[in-house]
Amino acid sequence: MSDNRYNPYETAQAQFDVIAGMLELESGIRELLRRPLREYHFTIPVRMDNGEVKVFQGFRVQHNDARGPAKGGIRFHPEETADTVRALAMWMTWKCSVVDIPLGGGKGGVICDPRSLTDREQERLCRGWIRQISKDIGPNRDVPAPDVMTSAKHMLWMLDEFETINGERLPGVITGKPVGMGGSLGRKEATGFGVIYTLREALKELNLKPENMTASIQGFGNVAQHAVQLFRELGGTVSAISCWDHKDCNSCTYVKKDGINPKELCEITDPYGGIDKEKAADMNYQVLPGDEWINQDVDILIPAALENQITASNMQNISKRVKVIAEGANGPTTPAADKIISEKGIFVIPDFLANAGGVTCSYFEQVQSNMNYFWEKEEVLEKLDTKMTSAYKAVSGLDRKRKLYMRDAAYVIAINRVAEAVSARGWA
Amino acid sequence: MPAAGLKITMNEKPAGKEYVLDVLKERAKELNCLYLVEELLSRRKLSLSEIFGRIVNIIPSGLRFPDVCKARLVYEKNSYQTTGFRSSSWMFSSDIKIEEKAVGKVEVCYLSNVPRTEEGVFLEREQKLIKTIAGRIGQTVLHRKMDQILKEWDSAKKELSETEDTSREWKIIVDLLNRTDQGMLLHICRKMINYLFWSGVEEAAGVLHKIGSKSIESFESGEVNAPSLRKPLEDIVIISEKTFKIASKHLSDSEIVLRVKKWIQEEKYNFLIRTVDRVDASLSEIIDALSRYRNIFENQSISYSPTERWLKVALIHRFLSNDLDFINIAKQYIEVQDFCRIADKMIYPPGSKGKLGGKSTGLFFGQQILDKTAAQFPILKSVKTPKTWYITADEMTEFLHHNNLEELKEQKYKELYEIRIDYPNIIQLMKNASFTPGIIKSLALALDDFGERPLIVRSSSLLEDRMGAAFSGKYKSLFLSNQGSKQQRLEALTDAIIEVYSSKFCPDSIQYRSERGLLDFPEEMGIMIQEVVGTQIGDYYMPLYAGIAFSSNEFRWSPRIRREDGLLRIVPGLGTRAVDRLSDDFPVLISPGQPELRTNTVPEEIKHYSPGKIDLINLKTNSFETVDVRAFIRKHGDEIPEIHNLVSIYRDNQILKPSKLNIDFENDDLVVTFDGLISKTPLVKLVSRILKTLQEKMGTPIDIEFASDGKDFYLLQCRAQSSGAASSAAPIPKDITDSDMLFTAKKYISNGRIDNISHIVYVDPDAYNKISRKEEYVNTGKIVGLLNSILPKRQFILMGPGRWGSRGDIRLGVPVSYSDINNTAALIEIARKKSGYVPELSFGTHFFQDLVEADIRYLPLYPDEKDIVFNEMFFSGRENILEKVLPDYASYSDIVKVIDVPKTSRGKILKILMNADLSEAVGFLGSPSAAVPGRQEPEDYGEPKIKDEFWRWRYHMAKCIASRIDPKRFGVQGFYVFGSTNNTTAGPASDIDILIHFRGNKSQRKDLEQWLEGWSICLAELNYLKTGYSAKELLDLHIVTDEDIKNKTSYAVKIGAVTDPAHPLELKKDSEK
Repeated sequence: MSDNRYNPYETAQAQFDVIAGMLELESGIRELLRRPLREYHFTIPVRMDNGEVKVFQGFRVQHNDARGPAKGGIRFHPEETADTVRALAMWMTWKCSVVDIPLGGGKGGVICDPRSLTDREQERLCRGWIRQISKDIGPNRDVPAPDVMTSAKHMLWMLDEFETINGERLPGVITGKPVGMGGSLGRKEATGFGVIYTLREALKELNLKPENMTASIQGFGNVAQHAVQLFRELGGTVSAISCWDHKDCNSCTYVKKDGINPKELCEITDPYGGIDKEKAADMNYQVLPGDEWINQDVDILIPAALENQITASNMQNISKRVKVIAEGANGPTTPAADKIISEKGIFVIPDFLANAGGVTCSYFEQVQSNMNYFWEKEEVLEKLDTKMTSAYKAVSGLDRKRKLYMRDAAYVIAINRVAEAVSARGWA
Repeated sequence: MPAAGLKITMNEKPAGKEYVLDVLKERAKELNCLYLVEELLSRRKLSLSEIFGRIVNIIPSGLRFPDVCKARLVYEKNSYQTTGFRSSSWMFSSDIKIEEKAVGKVEVCYLSNVPRTEEGVFLEREQKLIKTIAGRIGQTVLHRKMDQILKEWDSAKKELSETEDTSREWKIIVDLLNRTDQGMLLHICRKMINYLFWSGVEEAAGVLHKIGSKSIESFESGEVNAPSLRKPLEDIVIISEKTFKIASKHLSDSEIVLRVKKWIQEEKYNFLIRTVDRVDASLSEIIDALSRYRNIFENQSISYSPTERWLKVALIHRFLSNDLDFINIAKQYIEVQDFCRIADKMIYPPGSKGKLGGKSTGLFFGQQILDKTAAQFPILKSVKTPKTWYITADEMTEFLHHNNLEELKEQKYKELYEIRIDYPNIIQLMKNASFTPGIIKSLALALDDFGERPLIVRSSSLLEDRMGAAFSGKYKSLFLSNQGSKQQRLEALTDAIIEVYSSKFCPDSIQYRSERGLLDFPEEMGIMIQEVVGTQIGDYYMPLYAGIAFSSNEFRWSPRIRREDGLLRIVPGLGTRAVDRLSDDFPVLISPGQPELRTNTVPEEIKHYSPGKIDLINLKTNSFETVDVRAFIRKHGDEIPEIHNLVSIYRDNQILKPSKLNIDFENDDLVVTFDGLISKTPLVKLVSRILKTLQEKMGTPIDIEFASDGKDFYLLQCRAQSSGAASSAAPIPKDITDSDMLFTAKKYISNGRIDNISHIVYVDPDAYNKISRKEEYVNTGKIVGLLNSILPKRQFILMGPGRWGSRGDIRLGVPVSYSDINNTAALIEIARKKSGYVPELSFGTHFFQDLVEADIRYLPLYPDEKDIVFNEMFFSGRENILEKVLPDYASYSDIVKVIDVPKTSRGKILKILMNADLSEAVGFLGSPSAAVPGRQEPEDYGEPKIKDEFWRWRYHMAKCIASRIDPKRFGVQGFYVFGSTNNTTAGPASDIDILIHFRGNKSQRKDLEQWLEGWSICLAELNYLKTGYSAKELLDLHIVTDEDIKNKTSYAVKIGAVTDPAHPLELKKDSEK
């Protein structure tokens, strides 16, 4: 293996170093935060359906739990590496911190290919993972959640194993559970609504009225649909959305200048989120190529689909009217595009703030599980609004005070909070 | 059944409705009479005299004037008659024969004169009726006699076993025969003496003379020219005494019993042998013989004998196939009685010798194998076949003959474009033709048998489904809702049959046959009329689920799945969606040997790759429909039986198996997964057993079609596995030179061949591994996506490290989505050893089902393993044209290599041959048109001959156009051709890419465009006639200006481009210059 190959852990550390420099953190704190607090590497023997025993490699990394129990997903991946898990655990620490929820960062995984495992084998693997780590996780230590190639099914097996070992019901040890089995209402809406809560606050600060605002959104999945819904409720207009067409293997942008109607579009949407082009045209939607969403003459762009969508080259064509970009997806903007955005003076609500509604809702799930009392959906969304609003305000306050780029401001706030917790505890 | 025989001589006369009605009434009476007689004869508890007494009272009811008709039956010395029977001048009689010997007669008479017809007092049909009744009586008497013999024999045996005196058993038989059937006794004696003589018992020779066999002496003294003298027979009693005396001396008692028993049985089906053996025997005679045979042997198994085997083979020859390999296998599983079962359901022209055709044969044979194996594997007992009627293959010839359409036979030798022009006319011509009344009668009979159940009319041609030949989907199969009045249903049925017939003249099927050298085969088309398995739901009729299963799995999504684990493609509703590859809809895939290993494990993906539509029959509109499966379930969920076994609920990112009562059809997000069916019912086990059994017995991989109405599993089709030429096992040549060899592989190989690769996109594993920035990974994926849209479709392959399209960690494999690779011919993942371990490959799992449906091949390479060739020099050493193709990404030339194979290899192209049987695959350089080295030109029908006429014709036409363009008139500076026409890859549907360098003014441009439009439309029409691919225009015109060329904008880049440069053609020479 070559030394200079891409390593996500090193990338995360480099990013941290930049912010730590800006914050002028003490070297002890830097050393501590650059690396995980604890790492567990263990083997999981699994009896396969054919009677053989296969041994799997499992991980759990707790990057930092100064602000509260570690929180983060479990990945099943055939080429999982410790460095990937470390990097992702660190990002979880910052993400929980930026929305100011009392949780730290963690991540875990197993090197395996679930596609070559039967359901029964996967169940044994999940239970095996818990048996190896059960004494080091818990509602007040470390709270796993579903991630790549794991789902609610796996979480319930893990929860059951954990509860069996501990002899009591402890639903707060894992999130991502289905409603009725310790899950929280409002999860579907959380991310999309979170984007709009932060957008709403941004517009307030920019003295812009939502009713005068038009937005173009990339994507028509869960996040985008709920973002459209809430933005319209605020009085705003969404004039374009783009979505993937599975049949043609390309994406399309659907435009209606006076505002799309998500309800009528949903009616002609197949279960995978593809919109029927002909019917859309019949409803007087303009059907354009997928990339056109970014060229619309609008005030707000919301990329809510994929990574690396806003690039230096397509930034050149965006409308002069664009004032705000709210990042609903993870990493939609390339570093080169970031530069142009900041030069053009466009206001960015960075991804790990804008789409933190999801992790906030996981936090709520954990809280509800711990007290074994579950809120109505309205209550969840109300509390989500409060959390997202104050998180936004803190970041933008810093942005204005220190004249920082929003993305940097968000990292500064997040890392600073963790640094303060570490130092207050006297760890460094 | 005799019912089927009724139609043979039916001699209809065209006449008014009343006449037709009368005739029909008469037929009904006759039939009814025959059924009543048949019923009486089958009542074993009644004595013969009781039966005869009743039969005479039934017979008059079958005639035109029952009131004045009387009947008499004479059998041996007894006579039975209706009161008032007397001889009159209006009489008809038929002999009752046993073993060709008259033992009595059936007589009918009219007491007074009745209206006479051309046929006489007794209609031809009525005479036939009396003959049939007499014949059946004869058979029944014989049958009863045999029964009696066997019964007495059995009771004698029982007695014997009690007294333990086995020596008496054969004596009882002989005694019995002596009393009841001396003819049989003589036959047995003759066989016994022969047997003894040939076993070397000298004494037997003496008896041999007496029973008239040619004596051995006459041979010893040499063959004489004079006929041997016939010797008078001695009294049979003496002969038998002598015979058995000798026999008992030389043979054990039990052997005598064994022999005698066998000979008696053989004698019993002598008549069938005699019929089958006659070359000129028509199908109807054979079927009559078969039904006699069945009446005699009902529920009796016949012990092993060469006669039985001979008979079986003769029948297989007749009905199924002349193919020796097939017969060899078939004779092990098919019994004579099995033919009796289908004999009832055959429709054939008079004098037919016709075969059933491939599809019918396959199904019949498959079912027989499963029946015979059910004793060993009881689960197979549950397999059913739908009710099926067969039209023999020679009926089509008869149909053409009847309508004076013989000229169509030469159709296949016409030019393709003529065939194409003729085809719509032929369909109309045939649709206006009619079947013979006999066939119409039989079809009506079939419809009565089916009732108002939807039907499928399938072709069953002699070429289709022959073992080892791939000839699927070329002829039509049509669904019929079969609703309405009998007349409407009959019309729909005949219409459908004719349409299936006409598909024999379809240009595509003729072309297909021509390409495979099958044109001279005397193709005939049988028809299978099958009940559609299913149940009614709302206005719809559908099977609950249906699908297709392969005994050999060519699409494995995990290394744990073996080829012999098989593959099951299953859909809700009619199986059409499982049989076809639809690319935008997905059947559920299961490997029956490993049902727990599923293609998708993430809930969202399970949902994405689930069936989205359903095919069914709308009984109200009488049509075949495709509807959205979710909408259908929402509306009809409550009516669908076992729905909880078909669907899962997608909720909170989980796929949940519903219980019977908790599905909310209105609000639940339902996904068709068949999870319940797979885990809770024996379906998968059953399919697995069927596949294993059939593959083992037929000695070749097979595929089956099946359907279920929710209660039973029905086998619909069974044939040797064929997935088209592109996925049959490719022979691996052994004489490829080292310099031409690019790679070999020996693990997880499926079958297939790709032999037209002009470009290789190679992502260098080492360079990819060394990438230091995330953006570079992302861009690598992007480059692949761009190349995918630029390179000629299905003529390039993608090769690269690790897991393509992997989510989560992009270091593991090139980050692409399906749309970035959907034009490739193959996806090749390379597992290079990294710090001592070999990474796991994805098997294309991230878009596995997309690959399967689009027929994109997948191949894993393990270059570092023993005995594996991986020509790294080729991939790293050949010119990389990435920089020229995508100048923006020139800096990625270390990572992504794009190799123009013919250009860097002296015109050779890349061929990939994969052979799962040998578990071997090779990628090598070969010449484009030549056959694969070391390989004989195909004798089988595997591979179509390479077609280069498409590009040649296009190129020629482009040259024609160029040579006619007046540069001055149109302001044309240059005329170029590019794309598939230029790079010799054009197919029948390709357009002709034309690039014109234009320097004229606006009106010249308009003129030019109009002038070319005329060409374009004309060429499109010509192309349609040649190939059947229709398009509005064939020219794809691109006009560029000096400015474009200067700025290299738009298509101007094609001029002097690196890949696929536009080729200049000569314009019209300016005569003035």
